[in-house]
Amino acid sequence: MTTPILEATGVVKQYGKFMALGGVDLRVMPGTIHSVIGPNGAGKTTLFHMLTGTRPVSAGRIVFEGKDVTAESDYQRVQRGIARSFQVTSLFPNLSVRENLRLAALGTSPRRAMSGWRLPTGELACTEVVDQVLDRLELSHVANAAAGVLSHGQQRRLEVGMALAARPRAVFLDEPTSGMGVDDLGAMKRLIRGLVQDHTVVLIEHNMDIVMDISDTITVMQQGKVLMEGAPAHVRGDPRVRAAYLGNMITGGKA
Amino acid sequence: MMASGKQWLIRYRYWWLVLGITVLLPLMMRSGTLATEVLIYAMAAMACNLLLGYTGLLSFGQGIFFGLGSYAVGLALTRFGGLPMPVALLGAAVTGALAAGLVGWFSIRQRGTYFVMLTLAFAQMFYFIAYTAPGLTGGDNGLLDIPRPSIAIGGHALIDLTSSWGFYGFVAVLFLIVFALVLRVTESVLGRTLLAIRDNEERALAVGYNVRAFKLLAFVISGAVTGLAGALHAMLTGIAPLANIDYHASEMILIMTVIGGTSNIFASVLGAAFYVLLADWLSTLWPRWLMLLGFLLIAVSLFMQRGLWGLGASVATRLRGVRSAAATQEERA
Repeated sequence: MTTPILEATGVVKQYGKFMALGGVDLRVMPGTIHSVIGPNGAGKTTLFHMLTGTRPVSAGRIVFEGKDVTAESDYQRVQRGIARSFQVTSLFPNLSVRENLRLAALGTSPRRAMSGWRLPTGELACTEVVDQVLDRLELSHVANAAAGVLSHGQQRRLEVGMALAARPRAVFLDEPTSGMGVDDLGAMKRLIRGLVQDHTVVLIEHNMDIVMDISDTITVMQQGKVLMEGAPAHVRGDPRVRAAYLGNMITGGKA
Repeated sequence: MMASGKQWLIRYRYWWLVLGITVLLPLMMRSGTLATEVLIYAMAAMACNLLLGYTGLLSFGQGIFFGLGSYAVGLALTRFGGLPMPVALLGAAVTGALAAGLVGWFSIRQRGTYFVMLTLAFAQMFYFIAYTAPGLTGGDNGLLDIPRPSIAIGGHALIDLTSSWGFYGFVAVLFLIVFALVLRVTESVLGRTLLAIRDNEERALAVGYNVRAFKLLAFVISGAVTGLAGALHAMLTGIAPLANIDYHASEMILIMTVIGGTSNIFASVLGAAFYVLLADWLSTLWPRWLMLLGFLLIAVSLFMQRGLWGLGASVATRLRGVRSAAATQEERA
């Protein structure tokens, strides 16, 4: 058995008296797509905040590639190979698509961005990575448009691209399809499925068609705790999961 | 590969505009002192713009750095046996940078309203420190009799700065250098990252940038430039008054920046020139001229948020639109 790329143990997050996460354990295996599902308010996004360092944990331990990263903040974890997308699109709306990705690519060596003399050309333009990501996102034709004027579907793809441009070892995608129309879902599904060649993918997703179809492992959360974990077929058949979802959401996808 | 002449013009357009202004001011104005003041406040405003326009930080601390620059150059030239002027100016810039580092280090821990309140609190604090330390600052009277030494090499005076136009020339050269450097900063990877931080701080953090470190760096650069501007102002007037470190100095620098527009640093030069010249003209007409300035600021805030630069740009676009519309009409006819 290989060692997990990410191992979270007893992660607790309290906001005042409210216990958002009540001691979550999670082991993510390298080279897999690991989905986290659960009803609204189950603590999925909070767990993501803990894993990527967007917010500090109240208790618990997070180990990434053998290193304890619990005390590190988000920008430090990027240097370790962790990158994320947000549930609510978070781009640099006034900057061009290309510039958005350039900034994301250079974020892995942020000291080089502290030069007040060097222009963002040559090596600092990160052309190779940016072009690769643009290609993958199918956004090359709008590379010079401001991110803020893209369609919702394009913005959601760019949101994923912001994580990819850092060439992370683990990419955390928080509901990449949120608010997307049916027409855009196929492209997003292809995109996520393609990622696993180069990255470990941790995914929060409500669209069960996508989750059941592309995940290697699924963790089901409920009320800040892990309800169960397993392969898609196993999760789909579990009566506790059906109960948590009131039996009406796990429908799509092949068996 | 050689860029064509036109590309060269466009690539360095802001620089040409600024060069034009520094050459035109002496041709159009009778007072060298007023012309120099324009350039000095232009430096302070573009430093302010680096924070406001490029990093999204509304700092009321600019007066601190301006005032400390004045005091630093005053002390350096009148005490310690009178240090060489370049050293004194450098000292003023370093003083501004250090003060900005201190103020920034505390203030950027907060965002939005609390950030603004912190810079305001520091502005008040430094004002009262200056007020209560007359041994260093001259207190209410300010530091008096600050000289304008000639530029000399090996005891031979090369350029005399005692005449107002002589001093203008000296300030103009410094101004052009500072403008070119700040312009470079805004176009550099640092400037582009600052713009990203202004746009979306959360995202900047999530892609790996230590936002606080970047903001602090912006503060330090801004403080250095503002300190230098304050020093030149003290040399211009011969005194480092308490007014230079007053909260009103911050306010004035901010107003110039906002009136000019925050989309590029040349706009700040416009804003400073407009403010200084308008204030000079209005004050001869009516002692309550500050009220008119209030109306102007209201108009800018309500109707032209991109400032004078934005106004000029939209007029230019409209003219071009009219011209191209006329051209298509002709084509049709």
